[in-house]
Amino acid sequence: MTLREIILRLRAWVRRDQLSRALDAELESHVDALARDLAHTGMSPADARTAARRQLGNTTVIRESSRDAWGFPRLENVLQDIRYGVRGLLHAPGFTITVILTLGLGIGANAAMFAVIDRLMFRPFPHMREPGSVHRVYVQTTVNGRRNVYATIPYARYLDLIAQAQSFSQHATVSEWRLGVGVGEHARIQKVAGVSASFFGFFNVRGVQGRLFTDVEDQRPMGSLVAVLTHEFWQTVLGSRPVLGEPLRVGKFDYTIIGILPPGFVGTVQGRPPHIFIPITTVPANLNPWQRDIYASQYSWDWMEIIVRRKDGVSVAAANTELTQAYIRSRNSQRVSNPRVLPDSLAHPRAIVAPLRNGAGPAPGPESRVLKWVSGVAGIVLLIACANVANIMLTRVLRRRREIAVRLALGVSRSRLLGQFVIEAMLLALVGVVVGLAFAQWGGSAIRALLLPEGSTLNLGTDWRTIGVAGVCAIVAALLSTIGPAVLAARSELTPSLKSGVREGSHRRSTLQTALLVTQGALSVALLVGAGLFVRSLGRVRDIPLGFDVSRVVDVYPDFRDANLETGVEDAAIRQLLAAAQSIPGTAGAARANSALFRSSTARLRIAGIDSVEQLGRFNFQVVSPEYFDVVQTRILRGRGFSSIDAPHAPRVAIVSQAMAQALWPGREPLGQCMEVTWEAAANVPYVPCTTVVGVAEDAAYQALTDEQRFVYYLNLEQMPGGWARQILVRLNGEPTATEIERVQRALQRVMPGDGLVILRKLQDVIDDQSRSWRLGTTLFVAFGGLALVVAAVGLYGVIGYTIAQRMHELGMRIALGARSSHILRLVLGQGVWFAAAGAAFGLAIAFFGARFIEPLLYKQSARDPLVYFGVAGTMILVGLVASAAPALRAIRADPNRALRSE
Amino acid sequence: MGNDAAPLLSGTLDLLILKTLSAGAFHGYGIAQHIKRLSNEALTIEEGSLYPALQRMMVKGWIVSESKKSPTGRDARYYRLTAAGRKQLGQEEADFKRSIAATVRVLKGSNA
Repeated sequence: MTLREIILRLRAWVRRDQLSRALDAELESHVDALARDLAHTGMSPADARTAARRQLGNTTVIRESSRDAWGFPRLENVLQDIRYGVRGLLHAPGFTITVILTLGLGIGANAAMFAVIDRLMFRPFPHMREPGSVHRVYVQTTVNGRRNVYATIPYARYLDLIAQAQSFSQHATVSEWRLGVGVGEHARIQKVAGVSASFFGFFNVRGVQGRLFTDVEDQRPMGSLVAVLTHEFWQTVLGSRPVLGEPLRVGKFDYTIIGILPPGFVGTVQGRPPHIFIPITTVPANLNPWQRDIYASQYSWDWMEIIVRRKDGVSVAAANTELTQAYIRSRNSQRVSNPRVLPDSLAHPRAIVAPLRNGAGPAPGPESRVLKWVSGVAGIVLLIACANVANIMLTRVLRRRREIAVRLALGVSRSRLLGQFVIEAMLLALVGVVVGLAFAQWGGSAIRALLLPEGSTLNLGTDWRTIGVAGVCAIVAALLSTIGPAVLAARSELTPSLKSGVREGSHRRSTLQTALLVTQGALSVALLVGAGLFVRSLGRVRDIPLGFDVSRVVDVYPDFRDANLETGVEDAAIRQLLAAAQSIPGTAGAARANSALFRSSTARLRIAGIDSVEQLGRFNFQVVSPEYFDVVQTRILRGRGFSSIDAPHAPRVAIVSQAMAQALWPGREPLGQCMEVTWEAAANVPYVPCTTVVGVAEDAAYQALTDEQRFVYYLNLEQMPGGWARQILVRLNGEPTATEIERVQRALQRVMPGDGLVILRKLQDVIDDQSRSWRLGTTLFVAFGGLALVVAAVGLYGVIGYTIAQRMHELGMRIALGARSSHILRLVLGQGVWFAAAGAAFGLAIAFFGARFIEPLLYKQSARDPLVYFGVAGTMILVGLVASAAPALRAIRADPNRALRSE
Repeated sequence: MGNDAAPLLSGTLDLLILKTLSAGAFHGYGIAQHIKRLSNEALTIEEGSLYPALQRMMVKGWIVSESKKSPTGRDARYYRLTAAGRKQLGQEEADFKRSIAATVRVLKGSNA
């Protein structure tokens, strides 16, 4: 149909009444003219008129086929079917609501997951030009079969990799930091991105105000102190006032604001977007003044990432080959200054281009695997929903068999009938999409809180990618769940259906229905097993003894932001800070510590009688002030903690963990043993003579939460040179609420010298981060498993309810013939239990064979835990009982009189 | 309408209407008369089927209609060819001639 024809047809459609009248007049005058001509041949006027009408033909047919030109007849058929469908659905509200809710749950689960996964893995970054050819560069080594992949590399490596590269039309560097921004009261820690001037070239952006920085301002070793702000930062923090040319303190330096980025610009950041973009060549000096002149030539500091744009016609494989060769050359030049760089034959170095989104790259976060599983789970929920809807539709078809037979008998074509089924399903799916998106928006917030960076908002109503996916899910679901019933309906034999009443033969379940019910049950059971396993696994993670209790402890990190502070001055300031922290009312003590939780340090240890301490495992050390053990509540099991007698020049003392004591001095008294410690990596630095063990502390988790080895020793800060233990841990009396933390922050901020800032963090957050992937798996599996169970229960209830309704006559007869209620009850409940048990059996089998795939995601938890299997099977059978209870109660009230009377 | 009238070859109604209108504007009855007359009454059309065809051709943009007084003084709808219609006529005529020629060749049983 050409555009002109569409327009002409539209115009005809608008004027169709007028056209119809004109046609009538035309036909009338045609008959008149014909009759007149015939009358001339000698016919009587009446005969002539009859003959003329005959010659013109059937005017109804003429009118109808003329009307085909006024509008879009096919479309009108569809519209008619839609109207018919809507009416049919409104007449069966129970059916309609059940189907819509079921589809909504299935679609919602997938929309919620997609929205998250899309943001973590696929969605192009806002404003990016041709995102398809943009990559992040990763370097990779494989030592003893163990693959290490990093995107974060030294600046010198970047120069080596890109210097001679021919594969890329653009390249840029990015590094992100949390730095103090602003001065005085308004100073806050903000996310700051150091980027090369070339970075902006990857985007279609210009400053909405001012300009972006250029190569001239991004020169090694030290670029210009200029800053570009995001629109959001400018609006929310700076109140949209004119700021161009104003200074802004970022970290240690004052930058000049030269431009504002367009709204929505986030760069290439995974988590919370940065607010301030500064030339990357100003970052090293800002962090550590002594880095200024060495960062571009040394390989010891991994701090930035590379993004590249592949040239047209350069394949990923070609780019990888070129990068890998450059990487090998780079390692060669690194080896000149550092002979310990592993030879290529051992390290198998490679450098590759990979998707820009970290989540889709070769080194995704720990959640990524769980996430993939859970998307599979969401898909299964949709399948269960489809099975359920198919079942309900089937029931409806069975119930409407007579109506369908009558319509077929009246000449409705089978294809039109099929079309009507599909349209009905599409209508349901459409509403299902809306309901599903609503579920995803409000019900999916828990998922998003776990997965997306804090503070990210998400409105599924305007998220067209997610809406599109929900739409596709809906269409697939609608087709999947209609095909069976529709084919069944269209194939139905006319005569038996027309002849038979409700009574005869209609209570037999179709095999398709049984299969669908059992499938649903089986899939839900498999999901529930997964949920059970994750719950148990998370329980085990929670039960890991930490060896400390930091639920009420906040971690304070002072950022002095002064480029020229000497170590001694800084130490004095930290001491002052500690004193201030100890005198804040409502706190239960404060201590200094060196390493943040799970970020431990190691030194070299020598113990008399042991050849190589390193071979026994990893020994972490912590430098602490004497109050430390009280603040984190690590118990001293034997001996003593640090005290005032351990003065700077008194004999050096240490406290070791119980596991470490047993590893180093098995069966012997650890107290009084001598340890020789050095924290210089070079071999020729002398060991500090002897640090005496004076106490044994309970084992505590200083490496990853789940690491078995708990070797840790504590050194007394008083006996260490300056520069150690720059963090302060503060124990609060109550829960660390936002207001409490704010109070501590203000108290400590006051004693910071100059523009210094304190950075506070709840230690519980650090611990929670460690168990995130299990919490994620648990939340999602439980949510989706629960959904699946509900859907399966509704399906079972629907089918059993329907069968019972069909069998009322038979049941009435049975009661009339003397069947007892208990017998009928058992009959119906037995049916429910049979379905549930069959589902459970298949589901457990699926779980059993899937076990080895899910086991790596669990913590100290067999994926074939009998407790979980029995529990889930029991739950399923219980659900079978509950779902058939209401139909069973209806069944025992079957009226024998009615049954007899109708006979 | 003599008994020797032949039925219309299917698909040629449009062509006949277009050809008729290429001679000038006609109303529906006039088109029917014209076809009958020119074919020496050899072609009969079911006159009613003219009208759906005219409606279809109008939305295709091949013809347009306008109300005029007929010679008998009554209001009548006159149909007229458009430029697109003229082009369509040329094409359909050529197609038809080719198809007839080919059919005739087959009927003669020779490939010449």
